[in-house]
This record gives sequence, C-alpha cells and structure tokens, in this order.
Amino acid sequence: MKVSFPYMGPVTAYRKLFEQLGYEVIVPPRPTQRTVELGAKNSPEFACFPFKVLMGSYIEACELGAELIFSSGGHGPCRAGFYGEIHARNLKNLGYQAEVVIFDEPLYNWKGFYNNVKRLKGDNSFFRLLRATFLTYRVMSELDKCERLLHRISPYQRKAGSAEKAWLLIQKEYANVFNGKGLALARSKTEEIIKEIELSKVEERDRIKIGIIGEIYVVLEPSINMGIENILNDLGCETERSQYLSEWVDYMLIPGKGKKEKGIMAKAEKYIDIVIGGHAKQNIGHIIDFKERGFDGIVHLKPFACLPELVTESIIPEMSRVYDIPILTLSLDEQSGLTNNLTRIEAFVDLIRKKDRARHIS
Amino acid sequence: MQIGIPGALLYQYYISFWRPFFEELGFQVVISGNTNKELVNRGVKVSVPELCVPVKIFIGHVFELLDKGVDFVFIPRMEAIRRGEFFCPKFMGLPAIMKYGVPGVKGKLLTCQINARSDDISNYKHYLPLLDKLDLSIKELKKAAAFSGEKWKRFRTINKMGYMSCEANKMVVEGVSGKELLPKENNNHIKLGLLGYVYNIYDDFVNMGITGKLNQMGIDFITFDMYEEELLDQYVAQLSKPLFWTFTNKLLGAGYQMLQKKLVDGIIHITAFGCGPDAFLGRLLELESDRAKIPYMLIRIDEHTGENHLQTRVEAFIDMLKRRKSKIS
Ligand code: SF4
Ligand code: SF4
Repeated sequence: MKVSFPYMGPVTAYRKLFEQLGYEVIVPPRPTQRTVELGAKNSPEFACFPFKVLMGSYIEACELGAELIFSSGGHGPCRAGFYGEIHARNLKNLGYQAEVVIFDEPLYNWKGFYNNVKRLKGDNSFFRLLRATFLTYRVMSELDKCERLLHRISPYQRKAGSAEKAWLLIQKEYANVFNGKGLALARSKTEEIIKEIELSKVEERDRIKIGIIGEIYVVLEPSINMGIENILNDLGCETERSQYLSEWVDYMLIPGKGKKEKGIMAKAEKYIDIVIGGHAKQNIGHIIDFKERGFDGIVHLKPFACLPELVTESIIPEMSRVYDIPILTLSLDEQSGLTNNLTRIEAFVDLIRKKDRARHIS
Repeated sequence: MQIGIPGALLYQYYISFWRPFFEELGFQVVISGNTNKELVNRGVKVSVPELCVPVKIFIGHVFELLDKGVDFVFIPRMEAIRRGEFFCPKFMGLPAIMKYGVPGVKGKLLTCQINARSDDISNYKHYLPLLDKLDLSIKELKKAAAFSGEKWKRFRTINKMGYMSCEANKMVVEGVSGKELLPKENNNHIKLGLLGYVYNIYDDFVNMGITGKLNQMGIDFITFDMYEEELLDQYVAQLSKPLFWTFTNKLLGAGYQMLQKKLVDGIIHITAFGCGPDAFLGRLLELESDRAKIPYMLIRIDEHTGENHLQTRVEAFIDMLKRRKSKIS
C-alpha cells in the first residue's frame, strides 16, 4: 500500500513512521508554486490557504500513485477539522481513488482515533507500532532541537549558507536512523556538523531575537512561509518559533508532557479565556512569553482571512502597546509573494534595531 | 440605566429573549438602528481588513450605541448551543475583539458566556457574570430569564410557522401568542430556499432588501430559522463529521432537507465576503444541488455590492426557475 502524508515541517521524521510499519512511502514533493496553484484551482475560493496547499500536495501525491493519505484534523474547533472530508471529496471528483484518513485529537473523538490507529497499524503488532512511533518521535524532537539551534546561530555564520547546508546534512543523517544505535550515531555526527559552522562573536546586547507565532501550518512549513526564518536570519536576527511539531505531539498525545503549552495558555487567559479555534489562544500566550524571555520583536504569520488568527490580529495592536514589543502580521495566500512582503520585513527589522539602539544609549 | 444591544449578528435570532430580559430587570434597552452606509464605514475603518463584513457591521452598530451614550453595550460571548459544536471563532472572540480592538468599548462592555445545550439560552446561569456589574440578585435574574425565555419560545413558534424572524420578533412585541395564527399559506408556483445567517438575510442593507423584493415578485421562500431545530439536526447527522459551527450546520441541514425532499425549485444562498465557514458550506451545498438537480445560486456581498447587480441576478435566477418549471410540468 502506497501511503503519503502532508508536507509539513520535519518530513524526514514521519516518513520514518510509515517505513517502519512496512508501507511503501510516497513523500509528497516539497510545495512549490505549482502545488499552490493546483491546490487553489481545486479548492473553494474562500477556503483557507493551508487547505489549498494541502489540496495541491495531495494531488501531487496522487499523481505519484499514493493510495492512502494520513493526515491530522488540526487543533481546536476550526476549519482544519473538516479539511479531510472535503479534500477526499475533491480528490474523488478529480478521479483519484486515494483514501484520506484523518487523525483527530484523541480527546475529541476517541473511537475514531482508535480506529485510525488500527488502520495505521495494519498487520503490524502493537509492539512494533509503539516502537516505530517512539523512534519517529525521538527523531522528530532531535531534529526540532537542531533546527532551533541553527536558527539561533545562523545570523552569525561567517560563511553565508553554511547553516542551511548543515541542516540538509543533518536531515540526511537522521534519514538513516532505524534504531537506538543509529540515533546515537546521528546525534554525534550532528554535533560535528554543527561545530563545523564558523561563527563570529557577537555581544549579547547586539543580538536581536525575533519570535515567530501564528497558524501552525504556515509557521511550521518554510516552503509556504517564504522561508521566513532564513530571511530574518539573513537580516541578522535570531529566530525561534512558537511551535515545533514534537511539542505539538507532546501536547496532543503524551499525558503530562504538555506542561509548557499549559503555561503558555495560562498567560493568554487575560485576553482570551477560552479556546476559540486554531492556536489563537496559544499565540496570545506566546507573545507574552517571548516578551518575558527578552525577545525584541514578533512576526505573526497567518493564512489570509484565517478565522482565529483574525481575532489575534485584532488584539495585537493593544498587546504590542502594553508589552512594548513590535509585532508584524503577515497574511499569506496563493497571491502573496516574497517581493511585497520583503520590504515590510526589512522595515520591521530596521525599526527593531533603532529601538534597540535607543534603549542601549539611554 | 441604559443597556445597548447592537442590531446585528444574532440580533434577529435572540432579541425576543434579550430585550424582555433586560427590561424585566428594570433597565432601559436601547437598540441601534438599521444598518446604513455610514455605520458600515465606521466599522470598516477600525477593523482588520480581512474580517468578514457582518462583524464589521456589528462594530458599526456598537459605535452607534456608544454615540447614544448608553451605559453598557451587551456583547455576550456565544460559545455553543450544541454539544460538540461551537460558534464561528469570530463569535467566540467577539468580546475580545471589541474590548481590545475597538476604541471606547473597554469600559462599557457587558458580557457573559453562553454555553448551552440547545438553541434555548434562557438558563439564568449563563447570565451570572452580569450580577455584579448590574447589581442584581440571583432571584431577579432567575425571574427575568424565565419570563423572557417564554417570550423567546413564542418567537420561535411563530417563526416556525413560516414567518420570517424579523416578522416574528415584531409580533411577539405586539403580543401575538402564535395560537391565533395560521401557518403561512404557500400557494405560489415558485418556491425558493433562501439560505444565509440571520444577519445576512434579515439585514436589508446587507442584502439590498432581498426579502422585500421576493415578496413583491410573489415568490415564496423558506429560511433555516423556520425549521424545527431537531429536524435540522437529523439532516446534519448525514455527514460523517458535522461542521464545527452550529449555525453553519443549521444552514446545511436546511439546504439538505430542501434539496433531498425536493421542497424548493431553487436555492439562493447569501454569504458575506470573508466568511470562512461558508467556504465549506457553499461547496457542500453545491455538491448536493448537483445531486438533486435543483439550481443553487451563491450571492456574495461585500461592502460595495451594488443594488442593480443583485437585483439583476435574482431576477435572472427566478426567470430561469420559471422556465424550468414550465418545461417540466
Ligand atoms: S486556523 Fe485558520 S487556517 Fe486553520 S483551519 Fe482555521 S481558518 Fe483555516
Ligand atoms: S460565520 Fe462567517 S459571516 Fe458569520 S461571523 Fe463567522 S466568518 Fe463572519
């Protein structure tokens, strides 16, 4: 059975899961302009941007012969929870037979979740499933850790592009991990790769840190957010995201491990006291968290007309004032190119630098 | 003391509860007037551009109430009226958007959380957060809630007899109980399904008075609010996974029922620019209308839709339905 999945963040990691379970894996191509256009053409006009990209991605996976697509139903009451139904219908209308299996939050629909797990497991033993899941999870968290580190140091690399290259090499290392021993090996190789990157020394006070918040898909997947972290890195800023897939897995699946997220939610309480859909509430909390941790600015990424993020966006001016932190909201959709956004991003970084300098002088 | 209620969003669905409720508690209720160009512009000006038109209009209504000098503006947070379903995120975030995003609202916001099990939101417990701000006792609250709950039920009874929400609300104020009414007779040839949220189909500014025009043309139509809630729920249950948003589900259920039972000759669906849930709803209705072979037309309104344009489209659609009908019969 040929299976595929959405292209979202650390693809290397979840490819692992399916391989270990003996599936033939079709990794969907990294989203390109074609993916986006294909998706937009085959989606309702006012569907959200992630919906369209996923649509395009699924079509491309089907073109490559995918028969079964595993996906997640998203978080909280929002449209993502309904993506799969319409994706599947649209694929059928296009003449593809692929089945779309949607994993919902176990708490929301326990029975459905259990059935899907059984589906995923296939003929494998539960033990094998657990082992594969665990390995995937470890690969995912280690990759997340590396990515985080790289975006912290890459603004100071002596040779342009060395951090990006390192990232590719690291992913390759982890692609070859099949057990605990492999994991240890990949880890030590990774350390070496990272040590290779030459860095210039920068004073703590000259470092500029930018937090990235927003809707999960556009935050996680560089190919559809213009590679925002790299852009900011190149402009000399360190970046950290509000979300890493392994943390999301922690929160969703591993009891007791979601403490960090709960803390973040608690910070948001003052502004929004219930979950209103998507990650709006978390994002409010992350703004406060980034500020408390000494970040200098925040970039808020949202798919065009995203329902919950519009609520966030409406509150942002007030928060930016109260917490004295510049926040830039960028709307992403099939039309938004890098060109019109780049100027805004550069202006934003300038503003932060000026603000920073003023602070040090006074 | 004056309490302002914006005449927008769920106004037409719940005003028969909210107005008597506050009046019973001894407050003067002020309702903003009809939507108009200037009001819309004021809402548009302060809101994030991508917000949907109905929320921008709502903001305009709130401004009007602030102008009138009310002491509080009542903006409840609508969370749920079904188990496992919610309101559109914009409803759930509405008090927050208003408080932090709209100048002047902060000190005057009167809010509470509606998290009910059915459309009936008259349980006094939803309104407990009002006690302190308005200096009320639980006893008063209970009494007012029970009293106006009855009014609201009367409204629903009339509404379900085939009268539009706006008509039914008026009748409740005039003291019509519903018992003396006959269900609206439908003896016209063309019957239309008019789908859309109450704030789209009953706001004459938003839809350029479509209901009046249909009446003039002698076209009968049914809307989702004329249905029994349970019937709609049954049709929604056809989906392996219902949508998350209650009112979107209601429209879907009504649409499915009309199409599957072939109750109508055509459907006009009015949606607002920037509406997220309707992107999916529209697609589902479209698929179902193909299956039923009953025409479906989507009209999307934005801040600048022209009246002529809308009139032409509606007329053309009705003409087409008439031609189809004479061919079939
Ligand atoms: S959070 Fe935004 S992008 Fe995600 S489903 Fe909701 S509207 Fe769409
Ligand atoms: S359902 Fe649509 S029109 Fe209504 S508030 Fe939500 S986005 Fe706006």
